[in-house]
Amino acid sequence: MEKDFEVKKEGSVLTVVLGEELATANAPALMEELTPFKDQGVKKVVFDAKKLTHLSSSGVRVIIYCKQKLSVNPEIVFVNCNEEILDVLDIVGIRPFITFEKR
Amino acid sequence: MNQTRLHFHPIRGKAQAIVAAILQTEDVASVGKVFGAIRLVTEELVVNIVDYAYPDGDDDYLDVEIERDEERITLCFRDGGVPFNPLDLPPPDISLPIEQRPIGGLGFFIVTKTMDTVEYEYTGGENVLTVMKKL
Repeated sequence: MEKDFEVKKEGSVLTVVLGEELATANAPALMEELTPFKDQGVKKVVFDAKKLTHLSSSGVRVIIYCKQKLSVNPEIVFVNCNEEILDVLDIVGIRPFITFEKR
Repeated sequence: MNQTRLHFHPIRGKAQAIVAAILQTEDVASVGKVFGAIRLVTEELVVNIVDYAYPDGDDDYLDVEIERDEERITLCFRDGGVPFNPLDLPPPDISLPIEQRPIGGLGFFIVTKTMDTVEYEYTGGENVLTVMKKL
């Protein structure tokens, strides 16, 4: 599929603007794009989930990767997350480790 | 009751196309508010079958039956690959701190938590996995 996300770093904040899905079709590509930011002093990863309607286990893997491997325990923030996505984050038990914001 | 049958062969490297074909059937496409759940479960199951059912890649196929009535939608996935009961998988320990979580192993757990019933049997040389969601 066409690339449907955007990654940018400003200071210690890494922002990932997601498309309609974060799943098997695009999660490996996003993981690859995030790898160069490993050990680059990222303190916060902001996922802009305004358009996101589909999150599968492949996408959850990317979120866990950011928390575990990108740097030392960065804050994970989800912006504008819908209920279906919250349900998946609940099922896999990672919702308590994420900060949610509406903008 | 509406019933749709799909046959996919070969399946290697075709997970995305298979998922798309299932989601485009009329019974799934018009299922309403549980569409997101069906999409999620279909992706998790199809990706697992395509990636792991046929390690030797021989005669790989997947048959999918979709049944829908006013009360429920049922999807049945049949493959002739290595016998594998996903219900035997230990559930991931989601009480662990996120720093200690294994990065994989969540797909089938999501399936069991999303659907109302999940049943498995190995019969006639096939893995038969049937999942049902109430409407």
